Amino acid sequence: MTLLAIKDLVVRYGAIQAVRGVSLSVGKGEIIALLGANGAGKSSVLNACMGLAPKAGGSIAFDGVPIERETTEAIVRRGMTLTPEGRRVFAALSVLENLEIGAAASAELRRRGRENREAMFELFPRLAERRQQLAGTLSGGEQQMLAIARSLMSQPTLLLLDEPSLGLAPNIVDQIFDLIASLKTRGITVLLVEQNVELSLDIADRAYVLAGGDVVMAGSAQELRASGGLERAYLGAA
Amino acid sequence: MSRFLKIGVSLAALAISTATGALADDVLKIGFAGGFTGYLAPYDQPTLQGIELAVDEINNAGGIDGKLKIEVITRDMRSEIAQSAVMAQELIDQGINVMLAPCDVDPAVAAGQIAQGAGIPTIAPCASTPTLPGIVGDYMFANYTADNLQGTALADFAIQQGYKNALILISKDTPYTEKLPGYFAKVFEAKGGKLADAVEFKMGQQDFSAEVTKIKQLNPAPDVIMTAAYEPDFPAFIKQLRSAGIATPVLGSDGIDSPTTLALGEIAEGVVFANAGFPSAGSPLAKFNDAFKAHFGQESSTVYTATGYDVIKIVEAAVKATGGKTDGASLREAIDNLENVPVATGTITYKGMNRVPLRVVALNRIVGGQKTHVADVTPNGADVPPAE
Amino acid sequence: MDFLVQQFVNALALGGTYALLGLGLAVVFSVLGLINFAHGELMTLTGYGIFYALFLGLPFPVALLIGVTLATVSAMLMERIAFRPVRNSSPTTMLLTSFAVSTILHILFQNLISARPKAIPIPDALAGAVTIGTLQIGAIQLISIVVTALSLLGLTLFLKRSMLGIAMRAAAEDFNVTRLMGVNANMVISTAFAISGLLAGVAGILWLFQRGSVDPLMGFLPVLKAFIAVVLGGLGSLSGAVVGGFLLGFIEIALRAYLPDDALAYRDAISLTLVIAVLFFYPQGLVPRRESVR
Ligand SMILES: Nc1ncnc2c1ncn2[C@@H]1O[C@H](COP(=O)(O)OP(=O)(O)OP(=O)(O)O)[C@@H](O)[C@H]1O
Ligand SMILES: [Mg+2]
Repeated sequence: MTLLAIKDLVVRYGAIQAVRGVSLSVGKGEIIALLGANGAGKSSVLNACMGLAPKAGGSIAFDGVPIERETTEAIVRRGMTLTPEGRRVFAALSVLENLEIGAAASAELRRRGRENREAMFELFPRLAERRQQLAGTLSGGEQQMLAIARSLMSQPTLLLLDEPSLGLAPNIVDQIFDLIASLKTRGITVLLVEQNVELSLDIADRAYVLAGGDVVMAGSAQELRASGGLERAYLGAA
Repeated sequence: MSRFLKIGVSLAALAISTATGALADDVLKIGFAGGFTGYLAPYDQPTLQGIELAVDEINNAGGIDGKLKIEVITRDMRSEIAQSAVMAQELIDQGINVMLAPCDVDPAVAAGQIAQGAGIPTIAPCASTPTLPGIVGDYMFANYTADNLQGTALADFAIQQGYKNALILISKDTPYTEKLPGYFAKVFEAKGGKLADAVEFKMGQQDFSAEVTKIKQLNPAPDVIMTAAYEPDFPAFIKQLRSAGIATPVLGSDGIDSPTTLALGEIAEGVVFANAGFPSAGSPLAKFNDAFKAHFGQESSTVYTATGYDVIKIVEAAVKATGGKTDGASLREAIDNLENVPVATGTITYKGMNRVPLRVVALNRIVGGQKTHVADVTPNGADVPPAE
Repeated sequence: MDFLVQQFVNALALGGTYALLGLGLAVVFSVLGLINFAHGELMTLTGYGIFYALFLGLPFPVALLIGVTLATVSAMLMERIAFRPVRNSSPTTMLLTSFAVSTILHILFQNLISARPKAIPIPDALAGAVTIGTLQIGAIQLISIVVTALSLLGLTLFLKRSMLGIAMRAAAEDFNVTRLMGVNANMVISTAFAISGLLAGVAGILWLFQRGSVDPLMGFLPVLKAFIAVVLGGLGSLSGAVVGGFLLGFIEIALRAYLPDDALAYRDAISLTLVIAVLFFYPQGLVPRRESVR
C-alpha cells in the first residue's frame, strides 16, 4: 500500500529549476533510499513534501490525501516529518527541551511527552546522560541522534531523513544506519536521502537515483547494484 | 491610487481655476503653509481653526471694509523644513497676497525666504523666536509673544516675589527651550538676582532623575526654578522634582498652557506661567472663546486658536490702512506701521518694533487645577534683552 | 556616595523601561526578522485607551488594564492585517510596511483624536517618594523597577516552562525547523506580537506615569531608544535586549550625572559613540543570538 506518492514534482527557486518532474512512491513499511550527487535536488524533494520548498507543479499525496497545499505543521500532524539536512537542533535549548518541542504537534502527543521522552532516552542512552546540556554543545553524532529523536517524538508513520550520516565518524555512521534499519521494526516507514550509497543500499528495499533534478534510475537495491550505472549517475551530475 | 490622485488633482485644478478666474480681483488670498501633520500639528491645526473663524466673521460681514473677501489656501508642509519651502513656492504660484508660515522658526525661515524673494509679506502666527524677522528680511513679521518679551515678564515677576537665587532648566534642542530661560536669566541678573545653575535636558527624555538629583545636591538651594520645557518634558520634570521632595517654586512659559498641566493635580499647584492672554470676564479673549465655541461646537483647546485669529485681524487692519491696496509692498509697509490693533488676545503694535509685535504678557497661577490670573504685564522696552 | 547610589537607582529605573521596550522589539524580530517601527504606536494606543477609559468614568486600575489590553490586541491585529500578507517578502518590504503602519496610525491619531496632547490625570498617590536611609526613590521609579523585574520574571517563566514559550525560543533560532515539530507558525508569530504589545503597554504606562499626557507622536522617541538597546544587545536576542536596555540606561544617566556642563550638549553624540564603540568590539551585539546554520 502506497504511503507517499509524488507525481511530476517541479521545484523552482526563482530562475533555478531544482526538481524537474520527479515521480516516486514509498510503500508502507518500506525503507526507500533517494541517492544522487550534490545539487541533484534530493533535499528539494524532501522539503517540497513538507511544504518548505516552493512547488511549481506536480502532486504529492500522503496516505491517499493530497497535501501539496497544506502547511508544514498540518503535514506533521498527519504523520509525516523530516529530520533536516545538517541536523539543525535548537542549539540554545537543552536536550530535554529539544525533545519536548518535538511533541508540540498535538495535545495527545504533549500528554504522552514524558513517556515518549523516556523511550527516546532508552533508544539513545548517550542523550539520557546529557538531558540538561544545551544542544549546541553536543558532538556532531549526538546532535544527529537528538535530531532523529526529536523527529520521532511526533510519532510519525513516515520519516524523511536528509543525509543523517553527513560529517560523522564511520562508527557513528554505522550506529545511525543500524538505528534507521531498526525503525522498520517499529512500524516506521523511511525515505532516506544519502550520499553513502553502499550503506544505504544495504538497508533499503528500493532506491531512486536523482541527477540534475530528474530520476535517472530506480529499482530494488540489488538491481541498482547490478546495473553498475550508479557511478555514472553521480559523475554525470557532478 | 493613481486614479484617485488624478481625480483629486483635476478637482483641485478645477477649484483653483474657478477661484482665480471669477474672483481674481475682489478677493484677498492668504496662503498658509502649515504643519497639519507631524510634530507641528498640535500648533498649526489650532492656528488654522482661529484663522478660519476670523475669515468667516469677516466674509460674513461682506469682507474687509465690507467689500474685499478673504480666501485662505492651505498647504500641509508635513512639519518638514524642505517641504515648507516647496509649499511656500506653490502658494506663491497661486497668487497669494500674504503668506502665513509654520509654527516653528526653522521652517518659518524657509517659507519666509521664498516669500521675501517674491516680495510677499509673511507672518509667522506662533513662532516666537525674536530673531526670526531679522533673519529673513523686511517682509517677515512675527505675531506671537516673543521669547525675550516673555522672559523679561517672568524675570520681573521673580524679582517682585523676592527670589534671589534662580535655577534655569534648559534644552539646547530648540531656541525656545534654550533662549527663553536665557533671556529670563539675563534680566534676573541685571535686576540683582543670582543664577544658581543652568541644568540641561534633552527634549523627549522620559526621565529627569539625574537632573533632579543634581538640583538636590545644590548648596545653597535655589529659591526658584524657571524653565521653558513643555509637554511631555515639563510634567515629567516637575513630578520627579516634587517626588524627590524639592518644593522650590517653579516658573514656566506659555508652552505649558495646556490641559495636561492642569491635570497634574497637587504637583502643579502654585506653578506660575506666562502666556498670550487671560480670558477674564468681558475680555476680548473671553469673547473669542465664546465665538469659538459657537462656531466649532467645542472649547478652544489652546491659545494658538486665538493667536491664529489675531493674524487675520492684523492683515485686515493692514488692508484697511492701505485703503484697499493688496500688493506686497503696500501691505508690508502697512503692517510695519500698525499700532494698537485690537485682536483676540488684546492689542498688537508693530510700529517701531522691528516686526516683532509688542503685546501683553499674561501671568497665570495654577490653583486647584485651574488657571488664575496673576497680572497682565507689558515689560518696559528698555529691560527687554536684544534678540540673539 | 549618596549621589552615586541615587544615580544608580535612577539608571536602574530608566534602563528597566528601555529593557521592556527593547524586549518588545526583540521578541518580534527573533521570530520574524522584522524591526517593527510601529512598536511606539502601541504605547500611544495604550495612552489613548487609558484616556478614553477614564473619560468614560472607569476607575484608574481598570483604565490601565484596558490600555494594556488595547496594545496587546492591536499588536495582534497589526500582525494579522499588515504583516502576515508580506511575511514571505524581503526584510525591506516588511520594514517599509512597519513604517507605513506607524505613519498611518500617526495620521489617524492626529486627525481622528487630536493633534494636541490629551491629559491623563495620574493619582496623587503616585507622586510620593519612599525614603530608604538617605536614599529617596520616587514612587514611579520604584514602580518602574518592580514592574520591570516582574515582567522579566514572568516572561522568563513563560519562555522556559510553557510549550509555547519553548516553541518561541526554538522559532527564534530556526523558524522552519520549528514548524517541522508541528508548531503552528501563525500561533508563534501571533504570540510574539501579543507579547510585544503587552510589553509596549506596560512600558507605555510607566512612560505615561511620568508625562501625564498622550499625544500622537508619543511613541516615536522611545522606539528609537529601544532600537538602540536592541542593536547594542544583539538583534533578535532577548537577553541581549534586556542587557542593551539597562546598559543604555546606565550610559545615559552616567553622562547626564557626570558630564561637565560644557560637554552636556554632546551627550547624545557621546552616548551614541559609546554604543558604536561597543559594536566595534562586539559587532553582533553583547549577547548575540544563536542561530543554527541554514
Ligand atoms: N533556497 C534555495 N534557493 C535557491 N536555490 C536553491 C535553494 N535550495 C536549493 N537550491 C538549488 O537547487 C538545487 C538543488 O539543491 P538541493 O539542496 O535540493 O540538492 P541536494 O541534492 O540536496 O544536494 P546536497 O547533496 O548537496 O545536499 C541546487 O542547485 C541548489 O543550489
Ligand atoms: Mg541536500
